[in-house]
Amino acid sequence: MTSSDDLEARLLDLGEFLDVPSPPPDEVARAVRARLEVPAPEAPAVTGGRGVLRRGWGTLRAGGRARRRAVVAAVAILVALFLGATPAGRAAVVEILRFAGVELRIGDPGPLPSWAPQPLPGERRVTLEQAGGQVAFPIAVPTALGEPDEVRVSDSGRVVSLLWPGLRLDEYDGGLLPVYRKELGPPWPMETRVGDAEAQWIPAHHGLTYLPRGGGETEARPRAAGPTLIWRRGQVGLRLEGPGDIGRALEIARSVR
Amino acid sequence: MESLGHPRRSPPTDDDEAIARSLAGDLDAYEVLVARYSVLAHRTAAMLGAADEAEDVVQEAFVKAYRNLTSFRRDAPFRPWLLRIVANETHNLTRSRGRRDRLAARLTEAVPPLGEDPEEAAVSTDRRARLLDAVRTLPERERETVVCRYLLQLSEAETAQVLDLPVGTVKSRTSRGLARLREEVARDLI
Repeated sequence: MTSSDDLEARLLDLGEFLDVPSPPPDEVARAVRARLEVPAPEAPAVTGGRGVLRRGWGTLRAGGRARRRAVVAAVAILVALFLGATPAGRAAVVEILRFAGVELRIGDPGPLPSWAPQPLPGERRVTLEQAGGQVAFPIAVPTALGEPDEVRVSDSGRVVSLLWPGLRLDEYDGGLLPVYRKELGPPWPMETRVGDAEAQWIPAHHGLTYLPRGGGETEARPRAAGPTLIWRRGQVGLRLEGPGDIGRALEIARSVR
Repeated sequence: MESLGHPRRSPPTDDDEAIARSLAGDLDAYEVLVARYSVLAHRTAAMLGAADEAEDVVQEAFVKAYRNLTSFRRDAPFRPWLLRIVANETHNLTRSRGRRDRLAARLTEAVPPLGEDPEEAAVSTDRRARLLDAVRTLPERERETVVCRYLLQLSEAETAQVLDLPVGTVKSRTSRGLARLREEVARDLI
């Protein structure tokens, strides 16, 4: 018969031999910090007297745990970029949201950027057929617009851009790392749908920065961008810039084949 | 990277200083606190049933702890206060998915101490494995107290705080759990 003390000693001994896999403590600390540096949606750290933003779309905290884990990783990267690249006090960012490969910084961005638009890294003109062989995803073409006037491939096939007069459709790998950053103020983005896919309509003119593959962000200058619809098609992120209103934007987006 | 308004200082040396500085918004200090309790928090979450979601549970718990730090009583110990949040998050998780993975932990292969017969070491490992199985089969309430008291080596008072139970209940559940284990041990001759 085992005595009580013996059993207790054996349980304590068992505890010494139990291994629970856990990530390195400093990684956990950094991940927690990254989450704390993003203002909580219910209590933004920077409100500037405007009050709490309320919109009908998901924030960084929404979604399942697996998704949150991915988002947390992304936020850690974004926060690092943000703190490394933004002069203190320049812009009050109330929320950072990620959607379809686009990072949206929503708050009070100040005046629109006045830099002349630059080409994307390695941007060159190709035909639609050539583009198909240079990007790793299927290129979507909206039948509402017909053949594009111009097709450009940039950043070693990461982005393909189709251009019509006054309209630009960028298609890119909409994975975890953001491809574009938009800095915008009111009027706020609107949630909408393209087929089964969630979409965001950004009615305001806003600052747009391309975030090159493999970093080098400091060299990328923001440019002013017009109203834009962003949505996702499988793993491909799409941004349609230039349609004057949401109705026209959705008409074009829904005609994509 | 410097946190605004907080020129870099040497890392806090004890919990109290780390908490005081975290309350003042010093995230460097809070990082130190997170790193210090990370392993224990993961052990607690995994052994109370969070299994492979322990990492998510622990992150969430540390975020909540920071946001609720003002409700922490400064004269009280930090460890059980934090672990209670971890236990709560674990319960929320297991409730939401409708099942609880029992005591996720691996038994490490013991390296036989110098002079110990490898065969004896193998017998010890085997005895530990069977004791672990016996703990896993305990009813949940008893298992939780046994896990806290022995596998996590918390005191009765800490266990009571972490599981949000009166100390008397911790005592009675622990002793019922031990009695059941003793029966198992006797039956199995482990």
